[in-house]
Amino acid sequence: MLFLQAGRGLNRQTGLAHPTGSDQCNQAAVEGPLLGATNGYRYTPSDHLELAEEPHFHTPTVRPMTRCGVIELTRPPQGHVSGTSGTERRLPPGPRTSRKGSTMIEANHLTKRYGKTVAVNDVCFTVKPGQVTGFLGPNGAGKSTTMRMILGLDTPTSGEVRVDGRPYHELADPLRSVGALLDAGAVVGGRSAASHLMWLADSNGIARRRVSEVLGIVGLSDVAGKRVGAFSLGMNQRLGIAAALLGDPETVMFDEPINGLDPEGILWIRNLMKSLASEGRTVFLSSHLMSEMAQTADHLIVIGRGRIIADAGTEEFINRHTAPSVRVRAVEQTDLGEALTQRGAVVECGSDGALVVTGMDAAAIGGAASAHDITLVELTPLGSTLEVAYFDLTKDETDYHAGQLADSSKGI
Amino acid sequence: MSTATHTIDAIHFTPPARQVRTAPTSRVLKSEWTKIRTLPSTWRTAVMAVTISVGLGAVLCISQANQWASMTVAQRATFDPTACSLGGFFLVGAVLLGALAVRTVTAEYSTGMIRSTFTATPARRLVLAAKAVVTAAFAFPVALLAAVVSFQVGQQVFAGKHLQVSIGSSGVLQALVFAALAVSLVAMIGVGLGGLIRHTAGATTALVLVIVGGAVLGQFLPAGLRQYLPGTALEAAVTVNHSAGLLRPGAAIAVLGIYAAIVLAAASMRMAHRDA
Repeated sequence: MLFLQAGRGLNRQTGLAHPTGSDQCNQAAVEGPLLGATNGYRYTPSDHLELAEEPHFHTPTVRPMTRCGVIELTRPPQGHVSGTSGTERRLPPGPRTSRKGSTMIEANHLTKRYGKTVAVNDVCFTVKPGQVTGFLGPNGAGKSTTMRMILGLDTPTSGEVRVDGRPYHELADPLRSVGALLDAGAVVGGRSAASHLMWLADSNGIARRRVSEVLGIVGLSDVAGKRVGAFSLGMNQRLGIAAALLGDPETVMFDEPINGLDPEGILWIRNLMKSLASEGRTVFLSSHLMSEMAQTADHLIVIGRGRIIADAGTEEFINRHTAPSVRVRAVEQTDLGEALTQRGAVVECGSDGALVVTGMDAAAIGGAASAHDITLVELTPLGSTLEVAYFDLTKDETDYHAGQLADSSKGI
Repeated sequence: MSTATHTIDAIHFTPPARQVRTAPTSRVLKSEWTKIRTLPSTWRTAVMAVTISVGLGAVLCISQANQWASMTVAQRATFDPTACSLGGFFLVGAVLLGALAVRTVTAEYSTGMIRSTFTATPARRLVLAAKAVVTAAFAFPVALLAAVVSFQVGQQVFAGKHLQVSIGSSGVLQALVFAALAVSLVAMIGVGLGGLIRHTAGATTALVLVIVGGAVLGQFLPAGLRQYLPGTALEAAVTVNHSAGLLRPGAAIAVLGIYAAIVLAAASMRMAHRDA
C-alpha cells in the first residue's frame, strides 16, 4: 500500500482485496488516499476496533464488483428477494420501459470540491428506470450537491454525470426529460402558483393547458391564482412537484420531498413516486429519513461524507446489514437458552424476560425446542429495520455527531 | 496499486468544455416576459414611476418658473424647458425602473429560483440577455409615457410665464424618445448589476450611485471626462438646447449603450462560470 499518506495511519480497507483497474470508484471502505487527506477524516484506533467487531460493514465491498466498484444488486418490482446465494439478479424491464430510449442518470467519478472541503468524492452510480431509487444519507453527506451537478447547476471538479446519455446542458427542452424539485421554497413570492408554472412551461415550449393539469395532479387547482408567498410549506412542496411533472419527464428527481408534508401528503407522495416508477420512469429521491426510504424505495444508494457507502436493492441492503432476530419465551427458559447456544445461536435476555435470538430463524428455534421437549410460550420473528442498517453504515460518516462536544472534552 | 491508478485518473480527468445547447431564443424571451408581467410589483413600480416622475417634475417646474424673474440673462439663454420638465423623471423614474430591472435578477438569486430558471434553460448567457431585452422593452413604453406626461404638465406650468415649448417644436420629440431610450439602457445596466452583485440592496445601491454618483463625482473631474459619466450622459440625452460640457444626445445614448454592454458582458461571464 504505497499510497498511504503521512498522518493517515492504517488504511481502513487494509487486507481487503480489490479488483485492479482504474474503473473503480471510491466507497467508504475503499477510501482513496487522495481523498483521505482532504476530507478531514482522522484515523483513530477505535475506528479500527469497531470495524473488526462488525464484519458486515465490509460485506458489500469484498464481494465481486461490477462497474465503478459498486455491486449492482437489484430487486424485482414485486418485492421477491433473490435467493441467499448472493447471485446477482438484473431487474427485468418495467411494464413501460422508457419512451425515449435509455433514460437514466449515470454518475461517473463525480467529484465536487469547495476549497479544501470535498462535498462529493469520486462517486459512481446509475439510477435506473422503472424503480424508485432512494438517495439516502445524513445531512451534509453530499446529496443536494450531487443533485445540483446532475442538473448542471454546479460544475463538477472532476468526473461527469449524464442524463439520457448526455450532459444535462445538452438536453433539448430539459424539462421534458428531467423534472426536479430541489428547494420548494425557491419561488418568488409575488407570483401566483399558475403564473410560476406558466413561465416554466413557456421556457420549454410546453402547452399552457399542462399547467392546470399538473395543478390538478398535485391538488392545488383551488389555489392556482393565489400568491405563492402565502403558501404553506406543504403547498410549496406540492407546487414544486407540479413544476417537476410539468414536462411529463422520463426522469424525476426530488430532494427531500416529504419535508413539511402532513401524513396524508406523505402517503400521497409515496404513492406518486411508486406510480411514476411503475410507468417506467426513472425516479430518484433523496432523503435523510430511513424509515421513509424503507417504504418507498426499491433501490438504495447510500452516501456518507460524499462517498457512496452502499448501492443495493432495499431488501438486500437490509438483509445484509442487519441480523434478523427472534423473540422467544418458553416454560423452560434456561434450558432453551442453553439448547440454542449449543446450536450456535446468539442468545440475549430481553428486558421483559424473553430471549432475543440471533443467528437462527423461528423454524429452527421451534425445532430445537421440540427436540429438547421444551414448551414454547412465544415465538416472534423480529424484522430488521433500515434504521439499524443505516446507523451501522453511517455512524462513521456523519459530520456532526450529537454529543461530540462531550466526547472531545474527555480528552482534554 | 489499483487505488493509486484510480487516483491519478481522478486528478487528470478534465471535464469536456461546456457546450450549452442553445434553447430557442423566442421561448426564453417569452418565459422572461411571462415572469415580468405576472409579478404584481412590476405594475406597481410602473405606476409609481410615472406618477412620481410627473409630480416631482411639476414641482421642479413650478420652482423654476418662480425663479425666472431673478435669473440672469445667461441663465435664461440656456434654459431648456424640455429638460427641466423631465427633471423628476431622471431623479426618480429612471431609478425606480432601474431598480425593477435589478430585481428581475436579484429576486431569483435571493429566493433560489434562479436554479429553476437555469434548470429550465441551461444556456445562462441567453437567460441574462433575454432578461435585459425584456426588461428594457418593458421600461421603454413606461418611460415614454412618463416623459410625455411630465413634459406636458411641465409646459402647462411654464405657460403661466410664456416659457413653454410645444411637443412639435424642433428637437422635443427626439428628446422625449431619447429619454425613454436612455431609461431602457439604464434598465439593462440594472440587469447587469443584478447579475454581478446578486443582492437586491447592493445592486440597487450600485445603480443609484451610477445614476446620481456622476453629479457628486463630477465635481472632481475635468469636464472632458465628466461628460462620459453615466449620470451626465443620461442628462445630456434629453437636452434640446445644447449646453457646453454635455455630449450631443445621440452620443450620450451611445455612451450609455457602451456602459450597458460592458456591465452585461461582465455579468454574463460571472453567471456562466459560477455555480448557481
